[in-house]
Amino acid sequence: MSDELSMSSGALIFATLADVYLSSGMIDEAISILKDGLMRNPTYTLAKIILGRAYYIKGDIKEAINVLEQAYEEAKDSEEENLYLGHCYRKLGEYDKAMMFYEATLKINPENKEAKQELASLEAEMVSPKFGEIELGEERVEAEVEPKEQVAVPKAEAEIKPEVEEAVKPEEQVEVPKAEVTPEAKVEVPKVEVRPEEKVEEPRVDIRPEEQVEPPKAEVIPEVRVEEVEVKPVEMIEVVEEKAAEVTAVTPMPLESIQEPINRLLTIKTVKGVFISSKDGLLIQNYYKERTDIEEICAFIAAICNEADDSFKFLKAGPLTRCIIEKTDETICVVTAGDALLTVITEPEAKPGLIFVYARKIIEEIQEILR
Amino acid sequence: MSPAPDPRSGVNSVKFDELTKIPKVIGVGLVTNDGFIIESQFTVGYDAEKSGAMAARVVSRIKQSLNIEKASAILYTQNSVFFVKETEGGIFFVICQRDANIGLVKINIDKIT
Repeated sequence: MSDELSMSSGALIFATLADVYLSSGMIDEAISILKDGLMRNPTYTLAKIILGRAYYIKGDIKEAINVLEQAYEEAKDSEEENLYLGHCYRKLGEYDKAMMFYEATLKINPENKEAKQELASLEAEMVSPKFGEIELGEERVEAEVEPKEQVAVPKAEAEIKPEVEEAVKPEEQVEVPKAEVTPEAKVEVPKVEVRPEEKVEEPRVDIRPEEQVEPPKAEVIPEVRVEEVEVKPVEMIEVVEEKAAEVTAVTPMPLESIQEPINRLLTIKTVKGVFISSKDGLLIQNYYKERTDIEEICAFIAAICNEADDSFKFLKAGPLTRCIIEKTDETICVVTAGDALLTVITEPEAKPGLIFVYARKIIEEIQEILR
Repeated sequence: MSPAPDPRSGVNSVKFDELTKIPKVIGVGLVTNDGFIIESQFTVGYDAEKSGAMAARVVSRIKQSLNIEKASAILYTQNSVFFVKETEGGIFFVICQRDANIGLVKINIDKIT
């Protein structure tokens, strides 16, 4: 395929090849091909989008945004363009922009799971930092509260107390927040309520004659918003806990992680089926359901590979890594992955080079699992 | 003067040259099903006999296991790539380095055999 590319990169196949490289984790190769192809075909929008994706995967977010933004005018309606812009802005911490692009992705394709998940997690993230803020705020308040100093300035107490007491009265508190209650305000509530004694004492803190009025006013505000929303934060915590439970429940089984690359491999028209076996010839996972003699084939493939492996050791040529066996009605491509063998059975006209490119990702996953 | 062609296989030294002149091709050979060398052209320092025996062993195993009439396989190791192909006149095999132009070697093998 690379040869084909060098002969006719004007034929725009470079984007497809780059996409295959990207799927296989060959990011630098993909970027190189795309840059070269785009020099010849600078208006090829799909290639720009793939290049943006490649930069994103590589971790060069600024370059990814640069490329994707350049293509945005022509690719406004592209699901992938919007999705990856969302990803990029999210990485940069520009959550508003990220949400905007995820929403645009979902407008184009409401079924886009990735955008849905990212949007949901972004929303959750945008809420959760507030908990941290509250804790910080509380710490700050606690640090300021030093009762001994308060006693030293009785006059100040006298002046401030009425304001504080007013702030604590529930009837008056309710009036203000009703219109203004925002999710952030809700979050702030409970922790403040837990220690009512401290709240009352707060205004006494640090009061010097000149500053008497200002500090208490600033600290009264969170208390005013309190009453309306008492239970909400608890609900949020429950939601977070539920989500955590879901994540735990959804954690894939080891071989499920190779399902996606296997599916990609199976989408190649000439691929009949795939299966994974141990080097002993025992079937590990079968993705070739149409065939009933798969266990026999596993055993035979393993026997051939072991025989070849032994021979190569004898020749000091190193261990067998791949094997292509050509039959009249099919081709068998075998790739070793540690103690496992990934076997892909294809039509005779299949391109083994392409099969190996797709298989690479699966091999990495299998090796990771077996490690 | 080129050697006389093998009447059975049609593979001769001239045709071997087409393969051995490709950069990083280590050697080419033709062996019987038992692993005896019929003809070979190898870079100095490589053992054609051993390689031929190995080619015969692998082909025999493939035929036996998969019940194939004419076995053909490409085997990649860490350092080398082995092509084995059964022809009318015996088992044809090529050994090249891992970074050789595998596609070109394959095309030439198909052309020769």
